[in-house]
Amino acid sequence: MAVFIFLFVFGFLWYGTLMRGAHEEVQALFRTKPDFPWLILGHIVMAFFFTMLCVRFVPAGGIGASATLGILVGLVYAGPHLISFAVQPLTTKILCGWIVGAVIQFAIAGATVGAIYKPSSPATSGH
Amino acid sequence: MIAFIAAYVFIFVWGWLLNGVFLKDVYAQTPNLWRSQSEMMSLFHWIIIGQALVIFAFVMIYACGFAGGGVIAGIRLGILLEIAAIGMRLGFYAVQPFPGKLIVYGSVSGLIEMIIVGAIAGAIYKPASARTP
Repeated sequence: MAVFIFLFVFGFLWYGTLMRGAHEEVQALFRTKPDFPWLILGHIVMAFFFTMLCVRFVPAGGIGASATLGILVGLVYAGPHLISFAVQPLTTKILCGWIVGAVIQFAIAGATVGAIYKPSSPATSGH
Repeated sequence: MIAFIAAYVFIFVWGWLLNGVFLKDVYAQTPNLWRSQSEMMSLFHWIIIGQALVIFAFVMIYACGFAGGGVIAGIRLGILLEIAAIGMRLGFYAVQPFPGKLIVYGSVSGLIEMIIVGAIAGAIYKPASARTP
């Protein structure tokens, strides 16, 4: 839940507000208004499976290791941005904004999971 | 390194077959969203770098948190990463006027692609402790 809220708010601030001018330079590539149901569903899916990945990757929890995973996941998703730049008439400003945004977004999302997630302690024997 | 090269070769061939051959007609439905063929060719190095970055980061995640689990762990990692990526793809669909068909085909093929990449990484990558006799 925390990751979903963070991803959504960060996305609104970074991509929707800070990068609005850059996106307006290539208006034809974007819808006039976001399709919110898909946007929300996409963020729910992303948040849930990213959290699952953190839990599997860092079963013991921890902010540092989860943030490191977040950076690597951000890089996995930065690759398709580079490919998009090659096939869509995006500007370099948009490309840089998307890549930096993805890395920061997932690094903080990872740190959030690491800070909140507490692994269940092993079952204690009943003496 | 071998896992990286093998997975990269696969993703390159898969990407070319999927986007350059099978989905050509779907892309042709929205020509205003894409660069011209000559422009794409002049920026082709970004496709190579982008694919290399995906594979590099994937293998790093596998090596740091899943190594030792073999093919199954690689496949699990591929599935988790790709379903989260489908969420991202839905986000792009919400703001860019892509045909829905492209999102569906892209998501299904992306899942298959990442499962195979995971299997390749899991089959080839051996953690340092397993390599020493």
